[in-house]
Amino acid sequence: MSPDAALVARLLERDVSAFEELYGRHSRIVFGLVVRILQQATTAEEVVQDTFLQLWRNAAQYDVSRGPFLPWLLTVARNRALDQLRLKSERQRRREERTEELPPVVSLPPDLEGKLDEKRQAARVRQLMDGLQRQQKRAIELAYFEGLSHSEIAAKMQEPLGTVKSWIRNGLLKLKEGLEAKA
Amino acid sequence: MNGADPNRDPFRDLLEAYALGALDAQDRAGVEAHLATGCAGCARALAEGRWLVSQLAYLAPAAEPSRELHGRLLKSVQAEAQERGQAAPVQTQPAIPWWMWGAVAAALLFALYNSWNAARERAAIEATRQEVTKAIEEQQKAQQELALARREALILRDPQSLKIRMPATKEDLPALEATWHQALGIVVTGRKLPLPAGHRTLQLWLIPKVPGGKPLPSLALRPDADGNFDLLVARPPDGIAATKALAITEEPQGGSEQPTTAPIWIGATTGR
Repeated sequence: MSPDAALVARLLERDVSAFEELYGRHSRIVFGLVVRILQQATTAEEVVQDTFLQLWRNAAQYDVSRGPFLPWLLTVARNRALDQLRLKSERQRRREERTEELPPVVSLPPDLEGKLDEKRQAARVRQLMDGLQRQQKRAIELAYFEGLSHSEIAAKMQEPLGTVKSWIRNGLLKLKEGLEAKA
Repeated sequence: MNGADPNRDPFRDLLEAYALGALDAQDRAGVEAHLATGCAGCARALAEGRWLVSQLAYLAPAAEPSRELHGRLLKSVQAEAQERGQAAPVQTQPAIPWWMWGAVAAALLFALYNSWNAARERAAIEATRQEVTKAIEEQQKAQQELALARREALILRDPQSLKIRMPATKEDLPALEATWHQALGIVVTGRKLPLPAGHRTLQLWLIPKVPGGKPLPSLALRPDADGNFDLLVARPPDGIAATKALAITEEPQGGSEQPTTAPIWIGATTGR
């Protein structure tokens, strides 16, 4: 059982120290992702708070047999952030958001093994994404960070729908091949 | 054998974009309908796609949330953990003085009542649990049926679907109609058909274009009591381009590997 899965198992027994440990291990990457999506620190903290409270209250929703914990947690956080983004978009609150400062980027402690792995993986993903065509990378980022569909991306980039679909699919396959090759 | 790879699933190419959340409504509905059929290969590919998409989180630089957030979360979590602890306190029985027989008797009666009541509540909880399980199963079944119905509707409505009329080879039998969508499958419908004898069923066959090619077996289904026949083949054994005609024969229960009777209905594909 991975360290994360063991901590989640302890959450089921309402172990507060396990919750603190999980928060310590993953709050930075979760917060970084949510801030990138929402571009606003205060709302991002609300989303991170909701995400971790959901984890605390419904830890049983994570099924260890279906894969590692962190991708699952990141998916939960991204979905909540995109929901919030759509809500905000409807309310047209973007002007007020621009006045807020983004939180500082932190360098991860070099003496923590788990964090080092995370840092290496982050470097791999960025390197592979930088190796894609500029527009291919942009299309994937619009889908991932802004929650746009193929046709919305095609409209935003003023490119044919089929081209956008190919960019995204081929880009993700290249990323997959790269990650598998370097794993 | 016929140009198309029968093992290639047309939905595979969409799964990464589905995991990314980038599919438009129609593609998304098609993928969800397919996943609802329980395709194990696509479920595995989707899990891989979800992992791949989660790696994109690393494109965002890690950032430190505030200490206040940590404090707020910890406070909420500790309060909830404490509430739960208080909700189920440890039961301790105080010692009972010997002269308090009346009180002891009352306590015993109370304990007996509690025990009886607890057993009754446990039975009620068990009954409720069974009801919930049944309701969940019914909901899952309904969701699956809904997904199949949506898929069938998509096949029937999509202008790109190929309509194939299947006239009967025997007199006095109504014709069947087949609709074939390249990605979503085949729907065959018939109304007021005579019921096959005994437990025999009607089986669909794909007749290949390749000269001398053997008919490819597909699903077998018995019409309902009113003689209505609605067959959805989510994953035909071959593609439209490689198929010359669709045929239906009467076969033993469970279907056959090769036709054992002459076709009752047959309809040529016009190709595309």
